[in-house]
Amino acid sequence: MAATFFGEVVKAPCRAGTEDDEEEEEEEEEEGRRETPEDREVRQQLARKREVRLLRRQTKTSLEVSLLEKYPCSKFIIAIGNNAVAFLSSFVMNSGVWEEVGCAKLWNEWCRTTDTTHLSSSEAFCVFYHLKSNPSVFGSCPRKNMQITILTCRHVTDYKTSESTGSLPSPFLKALKTQNFKDSACCPLLEQPNIVHDLPAAVLSYCQVWKIPAVLYLCYTDVMKLDLITVEAFKPILSTRTLKGLVKNIPQSTEILKKLMTTNEIQSNIYT
Amino acid sequence: MEVCTFEKVGIRGTNIVVLGVEKKSVAKLQDERTVRKICALDDHVCMAFAGLTADARVVINRARVECQSHKLTVEDPVTVEYITRFIATLKQKYTQSNGRRPFGISALIVGFDDDGIPRLYQTDPSGTYHAWKANAIGRSAKTVREFLEKNYTEDAIASDSEAIKLAIKALLEVVQSGGKNIELAIIRRNQPLKMFSAKEVELYVTEIEKEKEEAEKKKSKKSV
Repeated sequence: MAATFFGEVVKAPCRAGTEDDEEEEEEEEEEGRRETPEDREVRQQLARKREVRLLRRQTKTSLEVSLLEKYPCSKFIIAIGNNAVAFLSSFVMNSGVWEEVGCAKLWNEWCRTTDTTHLSSSEAFCVFYHLKSNPSVFGSCPRKNMQITILTCRHVTDYKTSESTGSLPSPFLKALKTQNFKDSACCPLLEQPNIVHDLPAAVLSYCQVWKIPAVLYLCYTDVMKLDLITVEAFKPILSTRTLKGLVKNIPQSTEILKKLMTTNEIQSNIYT
Repeated sequence: MEVCTFEKVGIRGTNIVVLGVEKKSVAKLQDERTVRKICALDDHVCMAFAGLTADARVVINRARVECQSHKLTVEDPVTVEYITRFIATLKQKYTQSNGRRPFGISALIVGFDDDGIPRLYQTDPSGTYHAWKANAIGRSAKTVREFLEKNYTEDAIASDSEAIKLAIKALLEVVQSGGKNIELAIIRRNQPLKMFSAKEVELYVTEIEKEKEEAEKKKSKKSV
């Protein structure tokens, strides 16, 4: 027996092998009979709600072709989490003109809005940009030469190490790369037994399976909300081959980052 | 104890002890006077803390009561080491009792003893305390400590104003918006705690900037 997310108890599948085959089959048929057409309808509705939709720019029209076919690219950079996004928007996206080409919208039970069809553009979970001056970044080369960079953050309490955690220089950067990624990472690799979770793990696994060179930069930090010191911990990435050509004005980027911090600062009186 | 905390720096000079703190930005409608970071425990001892404000309030109240109780019982003001040990013992008790959690603060305690020797102590949530010549607590404490290790020399603390400038320079390493976000307090031998006004801090900051410019001019002259 196992409890699911919503608290109901369901029968867990038996790993020991089926000794009483006939009985089990009968039980399964019974359970199948218990599922009414309404249940199926509800499940289908939920599956439709949870579909990820790719939309063209700010409009609601969906992209008929896959985004990568329309805008094949040689460098794909994805930032996950507010610190990684702040780093990318202040250091990379302020050099050069970036054009928004599409966005991805999705809904699942954890979202706060219940209306799935009228999500505003500010609620898009992922926005795709391409560099106007150099379309090869999200540009013209076939998939074979594509290189993917993923930036994300994780809380330092998730970092497992034999050293004393008090001596960890948090925030710090760790990297994980696929077999086909031949360049060296700008920081030490993530040691065992640490693992990567969620979307960054999914992207990296996909790249490993399809032999796409990809590198994940994971910043372990003690502050998960938007924070200047955490965003600055991503700076060594600016010297890598992928981002070198893209970043021009670092002092200006620092200014933009500071402005971003002050606009997003939450007044908290708990800490002094 | 470095999550979301602002920098505090303590420096032990020859005839002066300096406490500098980073002022956090106060909301528009908030009364600035009520946001206090440097607190006097007695006439000759004061402390700055980093961490949970509410926990600090409790610790400070207990320490203040202990200071007066000691004066009444023993007829002598507390030594800095005594009150630091009291605070550290209090913190340690809370790490070893059931149903309680440790105090979430690190503190820098400065002051002069009766024998006229300046002291600087640091305590942390575990209840340990150590004496320091100069130290920093807060989010970027490591950066500030490295700066202090390089720049704390006998010359640097020779005079009172030099010690004050060292504290301000150390804070400027990590404080984002410069002099207007720094609060400073000093204790001189046989004198009570003195809090600097914003103008006085600005004066020191301008002096420091002038010295920096002159040093850079000299460097460029030498290279030419």
